[in-house]
Amino acid sequence: MIADSLIVEKGVSAGDAWISVAPDSIHTALSGLRDDGYRLLVFLTCVDHLADSSKPTWPGRYELVYQLRNMETREQLRVRTFLDGDPPRIDSVHDLFPPANWDERETYDMFGVVFTDHPDLTRILMPDDWVGHPLRRDYPVGGEVVEFSEEHEVWQTPPPRA
Amino acid sequence: MADATAEGMSDTSTIGQGVTVSRTGEHGAFGGELLTINFGPHHPSTHGVLRLIVDLDGEQVKRLKPVIGYLHTGIEKQAEALRWQQVVVVTDRHDYLSPPFNNLSYALAVEKLLGVDVPPRADALRVIMCELTRISSHLVWLGTSGIELGASTMLMYCFRERDTILDMNEEISGFRMHTSFIRPGGVLADATPRFLEMLDRFCNAMPANIDEYESLLTMNPIFRSRTIGIGRLPAEDAKVLGATGPMLRGSGVAWDLRKSMPYSGYENYDFEIATSELSDCYGRYLVRIKEMRESVKILRQALDRLPDGPVNIDDRKVLPPPREELETSMEAVIHHFKLFTEGYTVPAGDAYAAVESGRGENGCYVVSDGTHKPRRVKFRAASFVNLQPLERMALNHMVADMVAIIGTADTVLGDVDR
Repeated sequence: MIADSLIVEKGVSAGDAWISVAPDSIHTALSGLRDDGYRLLVFLTCVDHLADSSKPTWPGRYELVYQLRNMETREQLRVRTFLDGDPPRIDSVHDLFPPANWDERETYDMFGVVFTDHPDLTRILMPDDWVGHPLRRDYPVGGEVVEFSEEHEVWQTPPPRA
Repeated sequence: MADATAEGMSDTSTIGQGVTVSRTGEHGAFGGELLTINFGPHHPSTHGVLRLIVDLDGEQVKRLKPVIGYLHTGIEKQAEALRWQQVVVVTDRHDYLSPPFNNLSYALAVEKLLGVDVPPRADALRVIMCELTRISSHLVWLGTSGIELGASTMLMYCFRERDTILDMNEEISGFRMHTSFIRPGGVLADATPRFLEMLDRFCNAMPANIDEYESLLTMNPIFRSRTIGIGRLPAEDAKVLGATGPMLRGSGVAWDLRKSMPYSGYENYDFEIATSELSDCYGRYLVRIKEMRESVKILRQALDRLPDGPVNIDDRKVLPPPREELETSMEAVIHHFKLFTEGYTVPAGDAYAAVESGRGENGCYVVSDGTHKPRRVKFRAASFVNLQPLERMALNHMVADMVAIIGTADTVLGDVDR
């Protein structure tokens, strides 16, 4: 059973129940919830609230979202926690929910959130030598270097004597 | 040779195209050395571009590490730069064998935030498109698995029926594959009489066609010996590893979002959840065959009970006005202009909606900051999660069985990498 003292805030968003917890108690909270019957981690992701004016203040720039499901009672619960820092750090939950392993790698790859105690925190979708974390809001769309762009320019320009 | 790393994966050296081999320095149970084989990414049986690093003892798989990302197209990033109604088009492209499911999970999530319910006819058309796509997606799976497991004619039979479905897609939406048919607020267009006629013919013909597939495979000794007892995934493991869809039902767990957490009016249809206690590749095959039969049942019910009425919500802030109104109403012109320049805004908040696709739970998590573009769109891809039990399934099997296991996991690499 999850202790009420862990819950910072709770509510319902568009029909989905959610609670928010402090980032350093995420492992305790999720292991309590897992023992309560929320045995499936549907997904884990991050939302970057950089320059998000839908609320006057955000508790942190990165919001980590854990969607849990109890397959017996069919209840769902979303657990949120807010992080700051560069890089933002949080405990890994792969030991509680094995599917979190790849989800955490993806979140690391895309947002640069470092999951401590993760067995293999490497990039999963982007190439290993990629610089930057593409899903951060300050990472531009189409901002990567286009290969062969110099050649492309030469190719587009007609030769002088033609 | 190269030094073995902590996991025993040594640096591979290319000796040929597609396959590289290197020695790990470790010894296996038969006294020989473990070999690391690089399988893919360009290998026909990986259904796209999946790379597997496999440690082999003789021909037995001792370790397996999937390497993904070769089809990463940044759909989630792209979605943040598009307006709410434009995102539908990119959702089509992640699980490219089942676009309506991707559309539907996104549409349901946005509708949850907007707080709207679509009319009954739109729900029925959504169900029709989804079930048709479930059949066509299973047909692609069946055809390609048939080729891999020694029944090369399967592809001809399966693609024959798949083509009928693509013709229907074309009739109803103008596109054969990426239909973008389901969108927030309803569907693209009403079904034409010709579509309903085609659907009727399809529902009549399909059960006999499924019998035909079964007559080729179900009792086929080669197919059976390549699938029975191969790639076992016990129910408990499947649940813990988060597998959904036929992977989970093939392990005997009767979990289907259409029944467990109904959406789009699935609670009104009479169908069964296909399960199999076998937990192996053959069990997953039986589940998919049964699912096709159940889908035909749903299609028949949806067609017979297709309600009348509009196929879109009556909200000019979300959907464009009908073409004929544009010539007579100034308000309609303004709505049309606003919608196609600025788009519509969605109340701030977040919502998650999940649908049962041919591959498992296809979910979409959307976050709105109250503007006309999403703050974040996350696709919960069934293939991404279903790929993780691969090592568990392939352990101690032969290399050739790995092909059957990858095949019956039915992952679409576009869905894995998004």
